Amino acid sequence: MIDNFLHGTNALFSDPFTVLIFVLGVFGGMLFGAIPGVSMLTLAAILLPFTASLDPAQGVMLFAVIYCTGTYGGAITAILFNIPGAPENAPTAFDGYPMTKQGKAGKAVGAAVLCSAVGGTASALIMMAATEPLAQWAIRNIGPPEIFALVFFGLAVASSVGGNTIWKGWLSVIFGLLIATIGQDPVGGINRYNFGTTDLAAGIAFVPSILGFFAVSEIFVQAERRAFGKYTAPKLSVDFPSIAELWMHKIAVLRSILVGFFCGILPGIGATLAAFMGYGEAVRWSKNKESFGKGNLEGVISSETANNAATGAAMIPLLALGLPGGALTAMMVAVFQFHDMEPGPLVFYNSPDLIWVVFAAMFYANLSILLIGFVETKTILHLLKIPFHFLAPMILLLASIGSYIGRGLVLDVIVMFVAGLAGFLLRRSGYSIPGIVLGLILGKIGEQNFAQGMQMVHYDLVAYMSRPICFILIVAGALTLGTSVYRALTANRASAGSSAGQG
Amino acid sequence: MGNITKFHLIELGLWATIAVVFFAYSFEFNQTIEIYKFGATGWPRAILAMLVVVMIGNIFYQKAHGSAVQPGRVGIADDDLTEIKKPLSAILNIIAFVALPLGYAWSLKPIGFYAATPVFTFLVILLLGERRVRWLIGITFLIYVLLIGLFMVFLNAPLPQGTVSPFYDFSAFMLRMNTQLQHMF
Repeated sequence: MIDNFLHGTNALFSDPFTVLIFVLGVFGGMLFGAIPGVSMLTLAAILLPFTASLDPAQGVMLFAVIYCTGTYGGAITAILFNIPGAPENAPTAFDGYPMTKQGKAGKAVGAAVLCSAVGGTASALIMMAATEPLAQWAIRNIGPPEIFALVFFGLAVASSVGGNTIWKGWLSVIFGLLIATIGQDPVGGINRYNFGTTDLAAGIAFVPSILGFFAVSEIFVQAERRAFGKYTAPKLSVDFPSIAELWMHKIAVLRSILVGFFCGILPGIGATLAAFMGYGEAVRWSKNKESFGKGNLEGVISSETANNAATGAAMIPLLALGLPGGALTAMMVAVFQFHDMEPGPLVFYNSPDLIWVVFAAMFYANLSILLIGFVETKTILHLLKIPFHFLAPMILLLASIGSYIGRGLVLDVIVMFVAGLAGFLLRRSGYSIPGIVLGLILGKIGEQNFAQGMQMVHYDLVAYMSRPICFILIVAGALTLGTSVYRALTANRASAGSSAGQG
Repeated sequence: MGNITKFHLIELGLWATIAVVFFAYSFEFNQTIEIYKFGATGWPRAILAMLVVVMIGNIFYQKAHGSAVQPGRVGIADDDLTEIKKPLSAILNIIAFVALPLGYAWSLKPIGFYAATPVFTFLVILLLGERRVRWLIGITFLIYVLLIGLFMVFLNAPLPQGTVSPFYDFSAFMLRMNTQLQHMF
């Protein structure tokens, strides 16, 4: 492994053009991740056609680097503006944004820098050491039934965070699942809910919906606060967390690395579920559950470690099985196809140089987050100084361009603003935007894997539940759900009792 | 009726409408798939069934507790706007602000990005309370130049050009300028 890694490092840094692409990928990913309104997906969509003129290793490496640094960059907008750069940064905003409002933005961003780097580097190391055995394990043990079970568990976790009540949490997730049914069904390719328009046959595009629900709705919320005279500008602070503060959360970091890596390995699941589950587990194991969502540093740490830990792991199904784990890894498949290659087990034998250049680049990209992140962060924190009425049009326009570029359809810009309006109204009514987005992302994956899983077990639920991973995940999901409902009932009885006592 | 308010009933009505519309429309694609027992409607209808169950749970909760936040919930937004006085001018301002981007999105096809964007930017800044004309024009210009510089000149990203004259001609002029600029380097 060491020899291969050194060989990959040598190949990466011996060619000045490859170095240039690496550096552009690092900065581009961070920048597009950190600018509210656009994301690493916007940059990737713009760059995709240009990769045809690059060497295959350079093209795949560029996207891998953007994936690592963009996942980190998205945390900055989540923390500073409550606008997650990507869905995997949504749980980061739960505690990151309250910290900004309390004047602790520097601490939150500093923790995000360090934990993104730690999670990403650990993931890259495990990926280098264990891609082949892990891929073989995944082939043997992970199939559609297990993926559906994980989706169920992830949705159960998502419903328990965000939303004023467990019912609103679930309504949010269900709304996302319902939106995901628009378009062709994943088994028979039959058009559903296109309401007579051909543009909807391909379904609701993912990027515009995300931008609408997160970025546009946040601008509307802030504009409303401004109109009613309740807007307060976020407080600027550049105080990073101390080593002692971070060391206190070492268990959370380790747990999130495991959670993130496990989620990342599974095809189609990716970093988003990893972040939600990392955050959910942090809440579950914490002795101070009430402090989450109010500016608890551990919330930022858990979410950011988990989503970056998933980046390396997401390469395993992509490279070993040819299965992308998310939107950006799906674009990497397109990069392979531009060069008449297919990712899959044969890549390891036919193009080992490509694999190790990509692995080395991801390792160094994660280290770059640590090195550049701390320097860059102090500059980026000054974004908070830009008055809202100048920042808002910029964000709305960047989001419009980001939505349009993916498919070149004005409909996507309309979808984004409609999603923004819906998100604004739903937020005002106590619903969970991250819940909607997770439902939207996992809906199609869940349905496809449920259908394939049912076909595999011949619609026999006993056979389904006799698969150990399925059993564990379905029971864990049911327990998560049951516990939330139980807590809801007991807490409300207690509050009703105390108010009756006071009366 | 317990603690149920008019707002809760509207909320219930909206969810019920969504459930009914989606269920009724599911008959449009109620086709069997040979290899899959549950067909194209199985999954959406299962989701709709869940929606109905959770909707009922939600209204029962609201009957008992009104709009109170459930204790122990994580990641919820703080809402300090319910208790304040809301003047009509502020309400109209926010309605205009929310409607403006929708108008912008609809205008992109006929008018195009290049002509619609400066007007949109100007109006957004105006609605957010900026009244100094120099700042309004200056910031609009700055944002326009930044976006054109990044997406048109540097990244060559395709943006909507419009279909209606003279907006289409303006977009064509901008693209011609960009081509000439690219040739210079």
